[in-house]
Amino acid sequence: MVKLESIFAIVTLLTYLVSGGIYIWYLVTSNRRAARLASMLLVLGFFCHTMALGMRWIDSGHPPLSDSYESLSLFSWGLVLFYLISERKYPIQAAGAVVVPTAFIIQSIALVLNEGPEPLRPILNSGWLWIHVSIAMLSYGFFALAFGAGFFYLIQEYLLKKQYQHALAAFVIMFAAIGLAVGLWLGFIWAHPADAVNQQTGEHFNQYSSGDIYKILGLAGAGLVIALILGFAAGKGASRPGFVKRLPSLDVLDEVSYRGVALGFPLLTIGIVTGAIWADKAWGAWWSWDPKETWSLITWLFYGGYLHTRLTWGWRGRHSAMISIIGLVVVLFTYIGVNYLLAGYHSYAKV
Amino acid sequence: MNAEKANAISPVKEPGAQLGRKPADVMFAVIIALALATLDIYLSIIYYRNTGYDMRWLLATIDIMVVISVLAAAGKRVFHMLISMKLAVTMLFVVAIMSIIGTLLPQGADVQQSDLYNSSLYHFYNSLGLFDVYHSRWFLALLFTLIASLILCIGNRVPTTVKKTFRLRVDVKDAFVANQPQAQAFPGAGERGLEEARRVFRAHHYRLHTGSSGSVMGLRGRFAPLASIAFHSSFILIAAGALLSSQLGFSDDSVIVPNGQVVNVPNTQLQVMNYSFKIEYEGKGLLKNGSIVRVRELADGKTVQREDGGDMSQVTQVYDLAPSSFFSDIEVYKNNQPVKRQTIREGDPLEVDGATFYQKSYTYDPSSGQPISILEVNHKPFKTLIYIGGILLMLAIMVSLYLPQRRIWAKVGSDGQLLVGGRTSRSKLGFRREFERMTKELQLRLRQEARADG
Repeated sequence: MVKLESIFAIVTLLTYLVSGGIYIWYLVTSNRRAARLASMLLVLGFFCHTMALGMRWIDSGHPPLSDSYESLSLFSWGLVLFYLISERKYPIQAAGAVVVPTAFIIQSIALVLNEGPEPLRPILNSGWLWIHVSIAMLSYGFFALAFGAGFFYLIQEYLLKKQYQHALAAFVIMFAAIGLAVGLWLGFIWAHPADAVNQQTGEHFNQYSSGDIYKILGLAGAGLVIALILGFAAGKGASRPGFVKRLPSLDVLDEVSYRGVALGFPLLTIGIVTGAIWADKAWGAWWSWDPKETWSLITWLFYGGYLHTRLTWGWRGRHSAMISIIGLVVVLFTYIGVNYLLAGYHSYAKV
Repeated sequence: MNAEKANAISPVKEPGAQLGRKPADVMFAVIIALALATLDIYLSIIYYRNTGYDMRWLLATIDIMVVISVLAAAGKRVFHMLISMKLAVTMLFVVAIMSIIGTLLPQGADVQQSDLYNSSLYHFYNSLGLFDVYHSRWFLALLFTLIASLILCIGNRVPTTVKKTFRLRVDVKDAFVANQPQAQAFPGAGERGLEEARRVFRAHHYRLHTGSSGSVMGLRGRFAPLASIAFHSSFILIAAGALLSSQLGFSDDSVIVPNGQVVNVPNTQLQVMNYSFKIEYEGKGLLKNGSIVRVRELADGKTVQREDGGDMSQVTQVYDLAPSSFFSDIEVYKNNQPVKRQTIREGDPLEVDGATFYQKSYTYDPSSGQPISILEVNHKPFKTLIYIGGILLMLAIMVSLYLPQRRIWAKVGSDGQLLVGGRTSRSKLGFRREFERMTKELQLRLRQEARADG
């Protein structure tokens, strides 16, 4: 079962890689046949992905949301599903050039993290918790959508003002940030710090050696350099007059960004409240200011601020776009950064 | 207080405009400010001499009042500041940023294990409350400012929102329709056009209301603004529930109960005795044929079983064992009389006399290395309030953001032209597109009718 699962997972990864490559080819050449082929491959990959996740569910006896591999893999699965549905409804094959490579990167990070099915402490295998985790993940997805639309809002605005240098700089900075973050993340995974337990409080925390630090800095540097090159290439490609027509209008980007937050915010609220109810049932403490809790509250306050600046102060356009971009940084820290950098109760479940 | 009331009744429109206040009012504000500041300092001295009663929340409240009265004495329009959303939204970001501090520094008992404990900065940080940020005086003061401004903002909005929700603005003037953010006129459409407009609105799932003057109002998401109020109010419910629970109940999150000892539960007449503490482990087993199965070591510390119920003799090696659940067999005494005995585990607490005993975690005895159970014992009399607040929070925000309000009016103007106009407070672009679709449909229907007539 485990072997079959990993075969499916690897086939998934390969089909996403090839399909993503063909989608990029389509973006460059506008060859319709290429788009159809990429889409067919993606469906095949999605099927394998579904099989791999289903087998993991049967094998571990709980929904695939309990560790980094499972939650990330499910995330990229959701991304591909969302894209496949949208592709059937709207002519947005060009977006495949962004979405499918992203799904590929997330799925490969997931596979690096895979340590096989782990048994789950009975207390963690509860209905409240599955609602809590899956809804929180869904809200992160919508915030990522808001971020994407916000970023392209800035690019489109620069292009319309003919500030091509600014557009190029925005691409380079964004790629550099993502590259640095992914590099750091892979570094933390590679370093694999010892899991130490505080004898007094029973809390888990990570212990890093100096060798671990070099690994982390090395991969972060490598990620940064690769991302700078890619960002410069992508920025050069996009920073030209013709690209304006390839992007949606400013109004649409602004609206999509708002909708992402408006859809994600209630979900984050539900995620936080269900988490609190579950913690209260398990340990009698509905809020204990543990870092993951606090950071999810910070994320919640931040997007609450976004909605108020927009709906009651009337901010629009560039300011809103900037807030939605910073918002994703907060989200990513809550989702991933907290697990590696801060201690707390949530560290048993790295999701 | 006088000055504040005066501000509320006759607000001055221009920001920063000087108030023509009587010297007596200023004197009054100054005296109140001085009195509050004296009280604040006096209570602080008592508190820092350790009275045993945690009154940080009280100190924080007085701190805010001191700041407010000082600002009032200095001629600021404090009440306006508090009911303006500007302060509330700013405080959202401020609380978010200040919360970060507590996640970067060890909190509570953790600090004793960290390097900071022996560093020269320890006392400085400690005096700023940085090792217990979320219960520190300054954090509570920020939180209370946010809540106070929230309460005032909501209170300010409740009457208009209730009125708008239950007393719909159906009868409107021509100019009102024409001046909506989205508006269009259909010359010569007349009463027939109005009838068509009703059909189009209904087809787009608007609920129709007809006024006595013949104007039509289409409404969707009627309760969204009310839900927004409910969402913000539930935040107050949660805060009230938490504050009342902490003041009228008690909570101890680390009652350490070694096996075979009777331990007093702080703040109660209860004692607790732990008969035994046991840990169950789960891990992996390597089979002779090379495959891996999941195994469980029972709480007796000896028996190992395969999760699939298979033969244990096939397992050559057991590894990756990790605690999966832990149990305390406890008995609770009241005034040294046994009341109730039960084996508790995470998610399965014991309730006695309003106090609830939860299995929290465990530690190890430094000398014997034996695991020792840690319990959370609490009594939260206003927990229901917190739960109601939490559930209201989820429902209200969904209604508020997923079913946004859209209002649209149609009216035959004095010169026989049909006026259509509408507005929303949420997704403006989405509404604009819908409005354009509706007016296009209306145009089409009117043209078809004209053709049928002609």
